[in-house]
Amino acid sequence: RSFASQTDGEARVTRVLREKFPRASAIKVVDISGGCGAMYEIHIESEDFREKRTVQQHQMVNQALSEEIKSMHGLRIFTSTPKP
Amino acid sequence: GGGSGSREAVERLVRAHPVVVFMKGSPAQPLCGFSNAVVQILRLHGVEDYRAHDVLQDPDLRQGIKNYSNWPTIPQVYLNGEFVGGCDILLQMHQNGDLVEELKKLGIRSALLDAEKDQDKK
Repeated sequence: RSFASQTDGEARVTRVLREKFPRASAIKVVDISGGCGAMYEIHIESEDFREKRTVQQHQMVNQALSEEIKSMHGLRIFTSTPKP
Repeated sequence: GGGSGSREAVERLVRAHPVVVFMKGSPAQPLCGFSNAVVQILRLHGVEDYRAHDVLQDPDLRQGIKNYSNWPTIPQVYLNGEFVGGCDILLQMHQNGDLVEELKKLGIRSALLDAEKDQDKK
């Protein structure tokens, strides 16, 4: 899907992640609720996650999106670190 | 403490058994795809004896478990009283072999180890 067809929700979540993870090398946010803003799939690659357990990495994303999550039904998080 | 969602009540639940799952529905009848995924992964490893709590039956517990783990979603998996993660993390642990190792630490032998042995014989 082209960048231009991003939903408002996807854009907002992406913006928040860019602010909270300035070191992120890749961020992808996909509304998987058919555009309803109810459920998102988040992929984020950042040095911030290095040496941290997956659950800690996901907690960092949860904290960053604590406001946005309140209006979500669910979210899926996939974190990774850049190849050294 | 008071209420099924209090820190004390949740603590008792997560410590009651080596494997504790907070989910929507029950293992026999999951009511959400992500909760179902957790049940199916545990079943693949031969883990059928665990404590499952249906948060849809108890709104206080539903909020209390999220407060306890500081994690916003259900399902939640606890191994030896420690929060491990939700469906995505359990799936990752299943795929990379971590779940077999974590179960071994609890004295639970994953059924997949026996399945591998059978395959080696062919």
